[in-house]
Amino acid sequence: MMELTYDRGTLLLLGMASPMTSGLDPKAWPGVVWDPRVDAYRVPAWRYSEVLGRLERAGVAVVDGVDTWKDWRVYGWREVALRPYQAAALYAWGAAQRRGLVSLPTGSGKTWVAMAAMAQLGVPTLCVVPTRVLMHQWCSVLGRVYDGPVGVWGDGRRRLYPVTVTTFESAYRHMAGWGQRFGLLVVDEAHHFGQSTRDLLLEMSAAPARLALTATPPEPGPQAQRLEELLGPRVFRARLADLQGQYLADFHRFTLVLDLSPAERRAYDLEYGAFRAFYLPYRLQHPGGTWADFLRVATRSDDGRRGLAAWRASRRLLAFHETKAAALQWLLARHAERRVLIFTPDNQTAYRVAAHHLVMPITCDIGRAERARSLELFREGRLRTLVSSRVLNEGLDVPEADVGIIVGGTSGTREYLQRLGRILRPAPGKRAELWELITRASPESWRVRQRELTVGAELPTPVLEQVAPERKVGGQR
Amino acid sequence: MIPWALLDYADQAGELVPSMLGEADTIWLRALLDAYDRYVGRRRRDLKQHLQAPLPVACPARGLRRASHVLDRLWDSEALGPVAPRDLREAVFTEAAKGVRRDLALGRVARRLGIRPGEVEGSLFADLPGERRLAPRPEGLNPWELALRVNLATAQAVLRRARRVRLDVEGHVRGLVSQAKWGGLMCVARPGRNRAHLVLEISGPMALFRRAQVYGRALAGLVPQLLWCDRFHLRADCEIEGAPRTFVLQSGDPIFPAAEPRRFDSKVEARFFDDFCRAAPDWDLVREPEPLVVGSTLIFPDFALQHRRHRWRRWLLEIAGFWTPDYVERKLAQLSEVGRRDLILCVDAQGQCSGQEAVRRDRVVEYRRRVDPSEVLRIIEQPGPIR
Repeated sequence: MMELTYDRGTLLLLGMASPMTSGLDPKAWPGVVWDPRVDAYRVPAWRYSEVLGRLERAGVAVVDGVDTWKDWRVYGWREVALRPYQAAALYAWGAAQRRGLVSLPTGSGKTWVAMAAMAQLGVPTLCVVPTRVLMHQWCSVLGRVYDGPVGVWGDGRRRLYPVTVTTFESAYRHMAGWGQRFGLLVVDEAHHFGQSTRDLLLEMSAAPARLALTATPPEPGPQAQRLEELLGPRVFRARLADLQGQYLADFHRFTLVLDLSPAERRAYDLEYGAFRAFYLPYRLQHPGGTWADFLRVATRSDDGRRGLAAWRASRRLLAFHETKAAALQWLLARHAERRVLIFTPDNQTAYRVAAHHLVMPITCDIGRAERARSLELFREGRLRTLVSSRVLNEGLDVPEADVGIIVGGTSGTREYLQRLGRILRPAPGKRAELWELITRASPESWRVRQRELTVGAELPTPVLEQVAPERKVGGQR
Repeated sequence: MIPWALLDYADQAGELVPSMLGEADTIWLRALLDAYDRYVGRRRRDLKQHLQAPLPVACPARGLRRASHVLDRLWDSEALGPVAPRDLREAVFTEAAKGVRRDLALGRVARRLGIRPGEVEGSLFADLPGERRLAPRPEGLNPWELALRVNLATAQAVLRRARRVRLDVEGHVRGLVSQAKWGGLMCVARPGRNRAHLVLEISGPMALFRRAQVYGRALAGLVPQLLWCDRFHLRADCEIEGAPRTFVLQSGDPIFPAAEPRRFDSKVEARFFDDFCRAAPDWDLVREPEPLVVGSTLIFPDFALQHRRHRWRRWLLEIAGFWTPDYVERKLAQLSEVGRRDLILCVDAQGQCSGQEAVRRDRVVEYRRRVDPSEVLRIIEQPGPIR
């Protein structure tokens, strides 16, 4: 009789008869290796179902010490009402052996699909989400359809319940301790996986059922392949355009192309020139080098460090300058009665915008209680504008927002779609607007042009309006 | 932990030798500490700006950045201002949301709180990392201590990239092994060249499958503990920029140690120590003696009892607060497997974790609240062969 146990993120196959006598050689199975430290076969925990299946097919009697969750049945779920596309997604996932990636646009209720899956399966479930803010948001949404206690692991709290929410970081560090306790693993914003050391948390979980959620699935390639291996195939996809109008608000997109003031342009040219003086020779010498390679080289010499400092200074200049401040002033005055989200490339710019326009910043430096309070004031209408760099990008629920302003930076397709999604929560008669402020003749404008090539595929009804360039936009309030 | 880019290291035939700070560096470290002292009460951001300029004494560029990195984490700071920044932000931003002009909104809030408009603007973000004011120097922090702390952080930064560690270690291993276990690591032990010497192979379960930096953190956590061992030699297999490298750390390397481990794990142990010393003047009681190697695992007795005149009379004693009969049986079986009959197991009569009755055995002493020294003496004073 052999025993299968969970050991800190791996499974141990104890008491296997020798391949010579049993004719069964686990080393030939994918992922299984002999561990001389404990004299047993070892395999990463995510292959649990596969290994168990192989043992059963070979007719080996197994004492399964892994499935601690099988004795549990989670009660307390109320009925989860799903929209047609959500129900279709759930069905597709069920049909794919309860492993797979569901891709729905931001704001279309991915969480509800996950909750319906949890209610349907009724097994202990671990939800992993990217940030602490999202962790708390998941808890409150779960509270709407689940009467039991919701466990939280992260942000100073450590409580496991049959339904538990945790952050990527906490799960990465602690999965080894409780990776066998859950039968279903829900991964929010799953596009973060498939290419980093974080994948380890998926490998250390023994949960056979896995539901991955994302608005922006990776393109076919090594990352998509790895995701499929760890979480299952892509089972359902709805695009923004499929849901726009009925389940998501209608929207317009605008881009304001702005000039730097003459003094700022001179300063920018100086800084960017200093950066190029170091970067171009490097590029010629290392045509295939990545940005990370460049950073490694640059930080090791005085010239390199000066070049990097110049690059940072040039970016700071582009991120928020006089003309952008004026344009933002005009936009805020124009949308004085609406709820506005301002997106910046980094926290420093968020604080500059906050101090200049007296709008509330939502960043990682702002404590949990203050963030919650600010979102509450925003809902009540006592705050009308929030500014943030990354915190508002993913999943955070701010249903009242209907205007988005991207102040700068070089946001890629994924970030752009996430930010757009933030203002698309439907409401009667709502027409959302997404504005983007970019600087002419700068990396910003080149990147935006590049991005529009791929965004076009995501948004089949492009409503991009290039506003004619002006030296100053609008007037002061 | 120091970012990798700040490390200076040499590659000596596959061995990675990071540059550590020594006596000679205390000159510029003192200048750095003085710079921090001068900025007490001022903003961190300003200090950072000031440190862009060279120090008055010569110093290695990356060494300076490593030291500032460590100091920034060590040196406290506080948010100063007439009103808590959080309350101020709510007041200002809700006022501005009413659609009034910027200066008007600031003026109204200032009037309401009884401060100047300039103060409102100045303390709006006084609690952000760069805006906080430096507190006085941490107590006892001197250039040499700073050098040791930088070295510790450097060694830990290297060990963050380790897959596996081999340790030759003597004396006070217990804290180290329990730290490794807490970090989710596996310790495979082999007896060394003498009773006190041990060879430990430390790695994580997943290390077989991938380069898992999740263990790097746990492996790095072992470094401060090492300093409390009598002697150690650590050899780590690391992966640096895609290539395998080894890293060696040993007794005598200038590293900042962890806080001194507690002398006793529990009150019961402390009380037994006092009681036994009083009751048995013929015996010496040694705290945390050498571990027993059983197979590839270790048993850590709490005490060794050594007769003062008859040096061959030596017993080991372990106190178990929580236990099951199964645990006792297994432990005794393990010991008899390696031919050891010199361990006395003291078990708490109230610490039984299963419903079953305990099996009465020789050399197992039950206690309530305190271990009776006479019970122990009864076992160790009886005549006859021990092993």
